[in-house]
This record gives sequence, C-alpha cells and structure tokens, in this order.
Amino acid sequence: MFGITGWTDTIRLSGLLYSGTLTTVKIFFLTLIFSLPLGLIVALGSSSKRKWISGPIKLYILIMRGTPLLLQIIFIYFAPFYMLPEGMKINLDRFIAAVIAFSLNYAAYFAEIFRGGIESISHGQYEAASVLGFTRTQTFLRIILPQVIKRILPPVSNEVITLLKDTALVQIIGISELLRVAQNEASRIFSIMPIFVAGLFYLLMNWVVTKVFHKAEKKLSYYK
Amino acid sequence: MQMLKVENLVKSFDGKEILSGISLEVNKGEVVAVIGPSGSGKSTLLRCINLLEQIDQGRITVEGDIMVHREKGMGEAAITEEAVKKIRLRLGLVFQNFNLFPHFSVLRNITEAPIHVAGMNRKEAENMALELLEKMDLKEKAEAYPCQLSGGQCQRVAIARALAMKPDILFFDEPTSALDPELTVEVLKVIRKLAAEHMTMVVVTHEMNFAREVADRVIFMDKGQIIEQGSPQEIFSNPSNERTRTFLGNFKD
Ligand SMILES: Nc1ncnc2c1ncn2[C@@H]1O[C@H](COP(=O)(O)OP(=O)(O)OP(=O)(O)O)[C@@H](O)[C@H]1O
Ligand SMILES: [Mg+2]
Repeated sequence: MFGITGWTDTIRLSGLLYSGTLTTVKIFFLTLIFSLPLGLIVALGSSSKRKWISGPIKLYILIMRGTPLLLQIIFIYFAPFYMLPEGMKINLDRFIAAVIAFSLNYAAYFAEIFRGGIESISHGQYEAASVLGFTRTQTFLRIILPQVIKRILPPVSNEVITLLKDTALVQIIGISELLRVAQNEASRIFSIMPIFVAGLFYLLMNWVVTKVFHKAEKKLSYYK
Repeated sequence: MQMLKVENLVKSFDGKEILSGISLEVNKGEVVAVIGPSGSGKSTLLRCINLLEQIDQGRITVEGDIMVHREKGMGEAAITEEAVKKIRLRLGLVFQNFNLFPHFSVLRNITEAPIHVAGMNRKEAENMALELLEKMDLKEKAEAYPCQLSGGQCQRVAIARALAMKPDILFFDEPTSALDPELTVEVLKVIRKLAAEHMTMVVVTHEMNFAREVADRVIFMDKGQIIEQGSPQEIFSNPSNERTRTFLGNFKD
C-alpha cells in the first residue's frame, strides 16, 4: 500500500534507516553527556551573587532560548569559516558543529530546570546542614542535589524527549540522520513508506526514553 | 564552668533593630528556657549564636574561645574560618520544623554528619546512632524515612541527629510548636531526659509548664531585649517586671 516494490527495497531501506538512526542516537547521547553537566554549571552560575558571573550567563540563556535552534546550528557550523580572519579559517566538522550547537542549546534549557529545582529546596535544608558542619560543597552534593534530581525528573524527561525529535534539525548542515535518510529514500522510490518507518523509529526510541524516566522516578519514590 | 557567653549582641534586619544588646551566660549543665512574645527576637538570638545570621555587633564566646567578635568601627575580629568552624561544632540546634533530610533514612540522617564532618567510621557512627535512637524510643524506626514518621518522631530524630555531633550545648527553637499536643509530650519527655543527664541546653519555648518544671533559669525577652531572668520560681510566681507579668498573664487558664 505504500508502494514498496520488493524485498531489495526493504533490505536497502533497513540498512539506510539503521545508519541514520545511529547518527541520530549518537547526537542524542553526546548532547546529553555534555549538556546535563554544563546545564548544572550554568544553573549555579546564573544564580551567583556575583554579577560578572550571573550577567553573561543570563545573556547566554536568553540567546539560546530566544533564537531558533536551527539558526544556532547553522551559525555554529559556518561561523568559524566566515568570521575568522583569512588564514585562520576553520572548516568545522558537521557532526562536531551539530553536537556543540545542541549541547549549548540544551544546557540552557536544562539550566533553567535545574535552577527551578534548586530554588524549590527549602532553606531549612541548608540551615540544618550548616549547623551540622557540612561544607557548602558537601551540602550541595549530599543534601541538595539528590533532592533536586528527584524533583526535576519530569521536566527533564520532557526536554529529553524533545531533544530526540530535534536531532532531525541537523540535516540542515547536511548530516544524514534518520529523517533525512528516510526522505531521500522516499523520493527515490516514490513511496511514503520510509517516512512512516522513520516515524516508528522515533516513537520506539522515545518509548524507551519514557520507560527509563519512569523507572528512575519510581526508584526515587521511596521518599516524599 | 561557663559554656556560653554572649555580650552585647546587636542584630538588625533592613535597618530595624531586632536584638538590641543581648548579654547572656550559660553554665555547664544548665537548662535555660527563653520565653517571650512572638517577634521578640528569640529565634533570631538562637540563629545568631549558631551563626545562621551574621551579627552586627557583639561577642560570642564558647567555653572561653571567642567565636565571633564584631564592634562598631573596629569591624570583625580576625578569627580564622577554620577556628570558627571548630567552635561552632560544639553547638547543636534543633529546629521548630525539624529540617530532617527527606532522602536519607532515619539512621543516615543521624550518621551523615558524624561520618562526613567528624570523620567517624561508619560502623562506629551507626552503633552510636542506634544507641541514640534507643534513647529516643525510636530504635525500630532506624530504616524508616522521615516522611513515614509522625511529627513527634521526626523531632526526636532531629534531636538524635544533633546529639550525634556530641555538642556541648544544644539549642532548641520551639521544638514542639509544630506538633499536636499529644505528640508534644513525647518530645518534652526526651528533653527532660537530657536535662536529667545534665546536658547544657537553651530552649526557646511556649510551654510554660515545661519551662517551669525543667529549666534552671528562665529568660524573658521582649522587643529584642532580655527584660528579666531568674529561677522559674522567681519568674513565674513573682515576676518583677510589668511586661513579664502581662505576658505570663496570657498563659493563665
Ligand atoms: N531574615 C529576616 N529578615 C527580616 N526580618 C526578620 C528576619 N528574621 C526575623 N525577622 C524579624 O525579626 C523579628 C523577630 O523575629 P524572631 O523570629 O526572632 O521572633 P521570635 O521571638 O522567635 O518569634 P516567634 O515566637 O513568633 O517565633 C520579627 O519582627 C521578624 O519579622
Ligand atoms: Mg521564633
């Protein structure tokens, strides 16, 4: 019904979608690995009392959330070439550019979630820790952060699901991720089938993401 | 022996003076009850002594060691942060609303600071915690989480947590105000037990009967000043100050 003509097409499609998915998944995980810790640092910086730290960081968050991610991808890919002086021009690898853009962008979103989570912890927790003699670092890592993680799991899972779908944007700088591969194949064989299958792939992956977060939430539900 | 000496402590919030030159001494083994109307600065006093608030002026000495000293014009006395931290560890504070760590079990609430602040080994800390829980009548709750406990049980865990750091003085800020009357009893019982063991304690309280019965000395505060202090007998039966009389009059039933 989708106009698939035969076995050869099916096998070819599977191989293509597999390689596309691999690219998608790589960008997805690399972004998570870089943007989650970066987001935490940005969150701490944005609530710093020192203006010269919090000011620039707030501007960074504003830019990352205030401009299209698509634009940021294009900018980061081309800027080293167009903006550096003659002789120093760099051709940034597409894949690296994509991961940098995604990490910077998602770190800003995660930072805002972290900041909200950190601010939601009652002041009494800090006071109790301080009276018991915990250092500031101990207080944050042992007392505050574990409670923050529990509270931010639901909004973080939303962001992570969106991230997986957003990876489709990297095709703008010529990366053959899942959707791009499917589109190419669709026009080659005049069939909507590859698009449909790609959709199923995204759905399946996000189903796994959802499961993982549910598991984590359940694991942390031993306390209120 | 003098455990705590507070001299001429002044503290303002947003230009409004909340503590206007408080001086007070607490001796070893003494139980001091602090009473006074709402807003008189009782909590602020405890918070200043426990370094949760920075004082504007005054001197706080713990067992002869100066912990904070600030005077107008002179600024802050040069006491190293390290020294202050050491001295402060001799003080313990129990909060009105417990402030237990919700993500830790009861046992871990108690052992976390001894292990990671005092450097005690885990086994030793756990044994000590279990002993403290036994004393608090809570041994069976060691593995429970704070959210599974009643308010009275939470407060007793909080007391055990403070005791685990072996403080020389324990401060309580209205330890029973967040509790239902029937749960108040069990917490007061524990504090009585500590008093009988000659633990040095400063208890801010609205429980006049408790103050009368357990305290060696009662301090009446109003508007950021100590108005009157003396034995429970003196304060409750024969207060010399008009404001003390008016305040205590509200508690007569
Ligand atoms: N962080 C703060 N910022 C501004 N004002 C404060 C702060 N903490 C306390 N105050 C003010 O200081 C005054 C004394 O407060 P405090 O909590 O010490 O009174 P209290 O005697 O403990 O009263 P209560 O019996 O109601 O607990 C109050 O007027 C209060 O509003
Ligand atoms: Mg108070």
